[in-house]
Amino acid sequence: MNRQTRMTWLVARRELRQRAKTRAFAISTVVLLIAVALGVALPAILSRNAKPERVGFVGGDAATATGIIAEAGRLAGVKTAAVSQPSVAAAEAALRSGDLSAVLVGDTEVLVKQVPLGGVSGGLATLAQVAGLTKLVQTVPGAAAAVAHGIALPVRGLEPPSKPLSSRLTGLFTVVLVWIMISVYGSQIALGIGEEKGSRIAEVLLSSLRPIQLLVGKVSGIGLLALGQAAAMVVVFVIAGFASGSTLVHGAAIGIVLTGGVFVVLGYAFYCTAFAAAGSLVSRQSDVNSTILPVQLPLIIAYILSYTVIYADNANVFYRVLGFFPPTAPIAMPVLYAAGDVPLWQVVVAAALLAVSTVWMARVAAGIYGRSILRTGARVKLREVLSR
Amino acid sequence: MHRLRYYLAMPSVELEIDGLRRRYGPVIALDGLSFDVPSGQVFGFLGPNGAGKTTTMRAIFGVVGLDAGEIRWRGKPVDEQARRHFGYMPEERGLYPGMKLRDQIEYFATLHDMDDQAAEQAATHWIRRLGLAGREDAKIDALSHGNQQRAQLAVALVHDPELLVLDEPFAGLDPGGVDDMRQVLAERAAAGVTVLFSSHQLDLVEDICEAVAIIHHGRLVASGPVEELRRGDRPRLAVQVGGDADGAWARSLGADLGEVEAVRPGGTVLISLTNSADSQRILDLARAAGPVEHFSFEDRRLSEVFREVTGASVGQAEAEHAAAGAGR
Repeated sequence: MNRQTRMTWLVARRELRQRAKTRAFAISTVVLLIAVALGVALPAILSRNAKPERVGFVGGDAATATGIIAEAGRLAGVKTAAVSQPSVAAAEAALRSGDLSAVLVGDTEVLVKQVPLGGVSGGLATLAQVAGLTKLVQTVPGAAAAVAHGIALPVRGLEPPSKPLSSRLTGLFTVVLVWIMISVYGSQIALGIGEEKGSRIAEVLLSSLRPIQLLVGKVSGIGLLALGQAAAMVVVFVIAGFASGSTLVHGAAIGIVLTGGVFVVLGYAFYCTAFAAAGSLVSRQSDVNSTILPVQLPLIIAYILSYTVIYADNANVFYRVLGFFPPTAPIAMPVLYAAGDVPLWQVVVAAALLAVSTVWMARVAAGIYGRSILRTGARVKLREVLSR
Repeated sequence: MHRLRYYLAMPSVELEIDGLRRRYGPVIALDGLSFDVPSGQVFGFLGPNGAGKTTTMRAIFGVVGLDAGEIRWRGKPVDEQARRHFGYMPEERGLYPGMKLRDQIEYFATLHDMDDQAAEQAATHWIRRLGLAGREDAKIDALSHGNQQRAQLAVALVHDPELLVLDEPFAGLDPGGVDDMRQVLAERAAAGVTVLFSSHQLDLVEDICEAVAIIHHGRLVASGPVEELRRGDRPRLAVQVGGDADGAWARSLGADLGEVEAVRPGGTVLISLTNSADSQRILDLARAAGPVEHFSFEDRRLSEVFREVTGASVGQAEAEHAAAGAGR
């Protein structure tokens, strides 16, 4: 390790050691992990005791249909109630109103309100398979031997497919994670730098360190801590999800969490130096909150608007633009991806844009930091440190 | 005795301050400041508040940029490599309030290239030496003011620096603290360290340092061994004649003997002697005027030296600086 790296590492190590042993860090970590575990496992556990899924059937033999529905429910671990429907039209109306979850139409198809974008899975897939197998066994002599290959009835949605709610909720989890990580740890950076400046430690430090070493050491030390906490949250998310059989961790949802992970890291990298620069402008640590507000503003906007996207079918153009705009991308892009509003290549483009602007932000912020960290007296105006 | 030692030892110049200039907007902080600091002695860097002492010290550590001039250490411009062997105690004390004393001292030791083990040993040494034993695990903000000052000194000393720079180290210390600080500085100087400290309290520190540089308005106004400066070019005689509260007898003093510098309340007359003056003639004149109650050679205080060379007292200079600051 050369001296420059060693100096930076010493600063980072101090941040890690001092912060990791605080009670606040231990408590916040435990609370966050419990919240994640409960958030994932609770809906899955509760659904086991939920009221039965009402599955309609039209045409065909009533006893066979009831048998298929019961068997599919047993296999999928879901309580079911078979409800006879007078006609396909009546069944469709019941689907649309939410009275029924699915309808078995004779031995031809399974109807649902909306086929999930990620494809049919869970109880619905089981129903389609059991019905398909039953049809095969009843209509083709000797077909029982072919049962092992599996055959399913087509599943038709009344409305165009979209991302299932579970994916959207995973998206929401991801966005909350990005928001907490960037704003909490960003504030810690700004407060830490405000402390070093306000109590004049910076002067002692900078008699043996370069400003860039102090800056990089500080943001990477706090960043490692944030990354550790985020990783622990993702691990708990996955473990709790699988252990409770939650639908949140199946298939596409893992992709959403990974996307969120990439944007947590890129978002932190983009914002950490900006928070540092904001912290270096104050003369007292207590003034930090007012200087970091402008830094947080894009994140706050993207975060608030994300709730409108999570629960809507199509994100508006404004939010799509926010997905590519580097200051809002860390939150907006994972949301758009989770809601199925953008393809993967657009996510990659947004990530690349964010990475490039991180370099630009680091340069500007390091300049501001270097010029203001040793300025005493009143709060430094941004214009002053930018103009020199 | 001090003076003799100063010349016999012929200390070598280690730190050279050469033609420093620095301007902050309309304010000229340093105006071609130059002086040399020799090794192995406690060197005072004196002047009223606002004279440019802190700017100079910050410039030594590169935390303030210079418009012109150069600072050299052992003949070479000061660089990052040289600064690793410097210790600094800034005027505005700076330590992490929530960090434990021992962790803090060790951290600063590692920033000066010590490995973890050496840092631990050095921290233990200085904690004991500065009377902080038993407080190792206390957070800085739980320490008394005096102990915080000691902690700050420990941070400056922990890596055994070759140059020790302290900005107003005596400010805010109680008499016990002043004695401790003075002892540590003398000890370091005796160990061959170059010790430079600043103070605006000229008279308080005149017994602490062997040589000084006195500055005003960013310029050097006087420098040299303290004894030499206090004696000045012309010896000073203090004479008091009983019953003459105004020192009226001294009006008859001829210009060939000397001139009256001042008359203290109570009538002690301070006479600046010419080089050829015969002090016994002055004694005769005084005795002719009445009973001589006091007759002695008296050194000037450093504050008087300041007034002599600048025409203003330290207090006036500081008031002028404060007024200029308020007017901006």
